[in-house]
Amino acid sequence: MSEGAIDDRELRDLMIRYQRADAAALEELFRRVSPSLLRYFSGSGVGRNDAEDLLQECWIRIHRSRHTYRSSELLMPWIYAIARHTRLDGYRRRRRLESREVLVESLPDHVSEAARQAPREEDDFASLVASLPEGQREVLVMLKVSGMSLEEVAEATASTVGAVKQKVHRAYTALRRALREDRENARQS
Amino acid sequence: MQDNPSDGELERELNERAGREAAEISAELQRRVLERLTPSLRPVKPIAAQRLLVLQFFGIFVLSAVGIVPIVGKAGFGLMTDAQIAWMCLVLAGGAALFSVILAGQMVPGRRRGIPVAVVCALSGLAVIAGIGLNFPWMSPGSFVSEGWPCAMLELTIAAPATLVFWLLARRGALFASATLGASLVGMAVFTALAPLQVQCMFLRAPHLLVWHGGTAAVLIGLGALIGSMRHRAVEW
Repeated sequence: MSEGAIDDRELRDLMIRYQRADAAALEELFRRVSPSLLRYFSGSGVGRNDAEDLLQECWIRIHRSRHTYRSSELLMPWIYAIARHTRLDGYRRRRRLESREVLVESLPDHVSEAARQAPREEDDFASLVASLPEGQREVLVMLKVSGMSLEEVAEATASTVGAVKQKVHRAYTALRRALREDRENARQS
Repeated sequence: MQDNPSDGELERELNERAGREAAEISAELQRRVLERLTPSLRPVKPIAAQRLLVLQFFGIFVLSAVGIVPIVGKAGFGLMTDAQIAWMCLVLAGGAALFSVILAGQMVPGRRRGIPVAVVCALSGLAVIAGIGLNFPWMSPGSFVSEGWPCAMLELTIAAPATLVFWLLARRGALFASATLGASLVGMAVFTALAPLQVQCMFLRAPHLLVWHGGTAAVLIGLGALIGSMRHRAVEW
């Protein structure tokens, strides 16, 4: 999928200017990279509001760690490595909050933030890959939703191209099986 | 990935659904994020090249080891044979070099890790065991514990501040606490401690060296990995 792919050379120039405190470069970088990052966060199965929160947190981390980017390296894997940590920490935080939730006899009057978020479509990307293990789901989201190459995914996940290919292969096998079963169930019903 | 028709079908399905994922960034969100970032926008100096970082960590190991020897003494050095000295130099320098590479790799997000830290630990451990087991006598020690614990304490005494030094050097880049970071920081510090300890120690017997030098090192590296992992879970940005 080339739609989501972004020219890394131009982005690297913007990043170098951002490191030199060029506010216009930061704005342009935000404008170019954020849609792909938002797709990455929302492709992981969280609601729109949560995805926007993760995006905001991710940019704060990018800002704090901008000195760790070297102009000789690809930018998108660097950004996605930070996004990956942001997403995992967000996931852990949600899990912690969920584990602290207690059952109440009657529902509170106010509606929770999660409930206010628009419900996800049943035929969206996240629901298709929801049954996959975390590692396989992550590489598919990076490849398909964010439009990254195998090499970029390998760098972002601190892995190898071979390992990424293997995860994709396993994911495809599992998805093919799931789709076949879905169709068979639909035919039977 | 498109070896058969069903792969193509799946590919289309994935691409269709991926294309439907929302991607518009609202003006409000853009304003909110940029307002948070712009006030702290200052020029930053990019982190040094990977090779320089590796050299920096290895240089600290060499300088510290050489600097600590006159303080702790070199009583054991004269008791070692040339083969034993060569083996220990090879093992200690090799271990420190491997951990330098791992630690430098931790300093840039999204950098592919060359060698997994578990492999480095296993290789270093095997090299230490082989180096000691093949080159030092296996005679039974007279007072195993009373001879051993001062060595373990000395190793801990050197490794603790050394960990702090390596952390101070690495923290500019190592933004994400992890078991790997904890293990590699302590690994560097442990090798920095093992070098002067080996030169100082007079109990050059395999059981003593394996348990009190190597065993303490393994426990400390494991502890470093545990602390790194716990810190990773605890950190809230």
